Amino acid sequence: MTTNPVLQITHLQKKFGHFQALKDITFDVHPGEVFGFIGPNGAGKSTTIRVLLGIIRASGGSASIFGQNVWHDSVKIHQRLAYVPGDVYLWPNLTGGEIIDLLLKMNGTAHSEKTDELIKRFGLDPTKKARTYSKGNRQKVALIAAFSQDADFYIFDEPTSGLDPLNERIFQEAVLDLKARGKAVLLSSHILSEVERMCDRIGIIREGQIIETGSLAEMRHLTRTMITVTLGDDFDVTTLAGVHGVTAGHQPQEWQFAVEDAQLKAVMATLAQHEIVALQSTPPTLEDLFMHYYTGKE
Amino acid sequence: MSRYGRTGQLVRLNLRRDRFRILMWILILAALMASVAWKFEGIYGTPTEINAIKGTLASPGIVAMFGAFSFSGKVTTAEIFANEMLLFMGLIQVVMNLALSVHATRAEEDLGITELVRAHAVGTLAPLSAAAIELVLVNGLLGLLYGAGLTAANMPGATTQGNWLIGIGLAATGLLFGMLGLITAQVADHSSSATGLAYTLFGLSYLARMVTDVQHPKLTWWSPLGWVEKLAPYNDPTWQPVWLSLGLAFILLAIAFWANSHRDLGAGAITTRPGRKQASVFLRGPISLIWRRQRNVLIGWLVGIIIFGAAYGTVFNTIGDILKTNPTMQQVFGATMVHEANHSILVSFTALLAVVMAAVSVIPGMQLILKLHTDETRGWLEALYARPLSRTRLLFSYVGTAFVTSTLAYMGGLAGIVVMGDASLTHIKDGISASEFWQAVAAQLPEIWVFLALSVLLVGCWPRLKSLSWAYLALGFVSVYMGSLLKLPGWVKNLTPAGWMPRVPIHDVNWTTFSWMIGLALALVLIGWFGYRRRDLHMS
Repeated sequence: MTTNPVLQITHLQKKFGHFQALKDITFDVHPGEVFGFIGPNGAGKSTTIRVLLGIIRASGGSASIFGQNVWHDSVKIHQRLAYVPGDVYLWPNLTGGEIIDLLLKMNGTAHSEKTDELIKRFGLDPTKKARTYSKGNRQKVALIAAFSQDADFYIFDEPTSGLDPLNERIFQEAVLDLKARGKAVLLSSHILSEVERMCDRIGIIREGQIIETGSLAEMRHLTRTMITVTLGDDFDVTTLAGVHGVTAGHQPQEWQFAVEDAQLKAVMATLAQHEIVALQSTPPTLEDLFMHYYTGKE
Repeated sequence: MSRYGRTGQLVRLNLRRDRFRILMWILILAALMASVAWKFEGIYGTPTEINAIKGTLASPGIVAMFGAFSFSGKVTTAEIFANEMLLFMGLIQVVMNLALSVHATRAEEDLGITELVRAHAVGTLAPLSAAAIELVLVNGLLGLLYGAGLTAANMPGATTQGNWLIGIGLAATGLLFGMLGLITAQVADHSSSATGLAYTLFGLSYLARMVTDVQHPKLTWWSPLGWVEKLAPYNDPTWQPVWLSLGLAFILLAIAFWANSHRDLGAGAITTRPGRKQASVFLRGPISLIWRRQRNVLIGWLVGIIIFGAAYGTVFNTIGDILKTNPTMQQVFGATMVHEANHSILVSFTALLAVVMAAVSVIPGMQLILKLHTDETRGWLEALYARPLSRTRLLFSYVGTAFVTSTLAYMGGLAGIVVMGDASLTHIKDGISASEFWQAVAAQLPEIWVFLALSVLLVGCWPRLKSLSWAYLALGFVSVYMGSLLKLPGWVKNLTPAGWMPRVPIHDVNWTTFSWMIGLALALVLIGWFGYRRRDLHMS
């Protein structure tokens, strides 16, 4: 990557009293990149994001956005940043339309045609008081304000948890559009299929630590491929080296097992000598990866 | 399953949920009543002391604040006690009941808890009945504690009937306003609106009793809050107010049940209407956001406090005219002396009310400053902090609005008294002059600002302790409101800024005190600001 990273986090730490919420967070996000930030509840995703916003102060390490310190220069940084929190709380007696406009004005921008278009696409009624909105509609308000802003870095903290599938799709299109325009996006999410579809690189966080970063393809190499094979003779697959979790299939001489990437070549060569009738290989999904990192099983 | 099914379980749940609140209220109220009663013989024990205070209690300023009471025959310590304490305790108990009733009903509904509860096998009216039973239990327990505490204190002149009449009478008044809170919780569709509505009605009944007390005490029967004054527990025990309160409470409860069974969950008779599609050009930053969110509350406070002041002003012509009570004075002393006497009555009346106005004016400002932290924990500031908006600007938007609001509220209230009062006089020179008005303004503003600055300090540095600001204000209010009547020692009055400045316009403003109080307020705000810039924000 030749460009300077938009976001740079090095060995970030955060303590709340004796509780170490963030132990060691290190990752970068570059322009034109969608970075997926995944991990279970309580792993430290939102805490990391709040440090990035200058809402809470890091106890160690460093974090910078656009090359500026997230705590000291937060006001400057926020001029070029858009953020959608996980739980959107809106002032109950203002309407959605008023809130969108206010948020835009505070960034020095104004309600534009794009805002109207987004309101229409997401199907939001902007005349309703925020008190009467459902969770999904509150998220739409925050999303519309963020997408109609012309920022350079977008942070989304579980933005689609309350959206229906149609709106989720609109969200994904809008994010891909940002990416095409060279913006940087940090997307924290639970919905792994969404991350898998949109993110260029992924960071996995567990108990306040980043345990893996890289593209999905890179990560897949670290795990096993699922193989379903039907052989022409009664070769016993359990005798093979480098295979795991072997089970007999539904039909005679059908086998299912997982194989480590490093052993794939040797296993295939051996199987080829036993008259392969049918072969199906499935690369690990992000969900498999996730389970692999969190439970230690495939 | 009946419509009241599982009410008992909900009552237990409510009591468990509110146990700390209820405990605090009961402890403070019962301790206040019992300790004052315990000490009272030492304060007003001798006939000389009693005669001296009897005159004070008949003065219009005290009548406006504590109610008009009639004495008959030989006045006892207990009768003085009843005069000073009944309405005062009644007011605090009403505040408690309004807080508990709205909290137990509409606030739970706002949070979605009622929805969760109603999804179980629970009767449709059970949550409301549980709230009503909770109020009956709390008020009943307080009544018992009052009765027992007064009996134990055994003041000279106290009777068993009188002791229990006070306990039961206050419990009935409290319950009546608690039921009123239950109705406003049905009418409004969110809790702040329900609270506002309840306080408006409470304020109206306070004003009604105040004006009637000063002019025609018989008409005070028309204000539910006035009933508590009519108990006359130790000189002429009257149970009628108790029956009236309980009867009206029952009617209000029936209306609340009717309203509850005729509405949808989450809806109220006054519904939230759709609003603007786009923001107005004025809504563009933190200050205009505060105004947009709080304008009804702020305007309500300003208008309310001006009306409150004006209502006090209407009694100027009754109290500021000695000739009305003593027509021969003019022949004896001459017109000049009479006008001077009239003027000095009005000045001391105004000085007394200025202290009350100042304490009341602190409330809206303090609410705003504490709101900075409430908004923070509710996540409403998260969206703002993600904008190019510094903490300094946000803090001072809230703090500035708060200081302006309290200052305007105080000046408005005082102006209400003075302008209305002077206008009601036939001889305007007897009234409060412009320079006396500005003196009174200058005397109380530093106190208001120190109270507000303390809240800034707490929100900035130790937000968990923010409720201390209310406790401190309450202490200040009680020490100046009740201080001289309870003969509290000087150091108690000096615990809070409310007692630091001499009473103006009776005395002149002490400019040294004025300067260091302003300096103190400034220092507290600066420390709070420094803390606020450095600390982590607490998000839900």
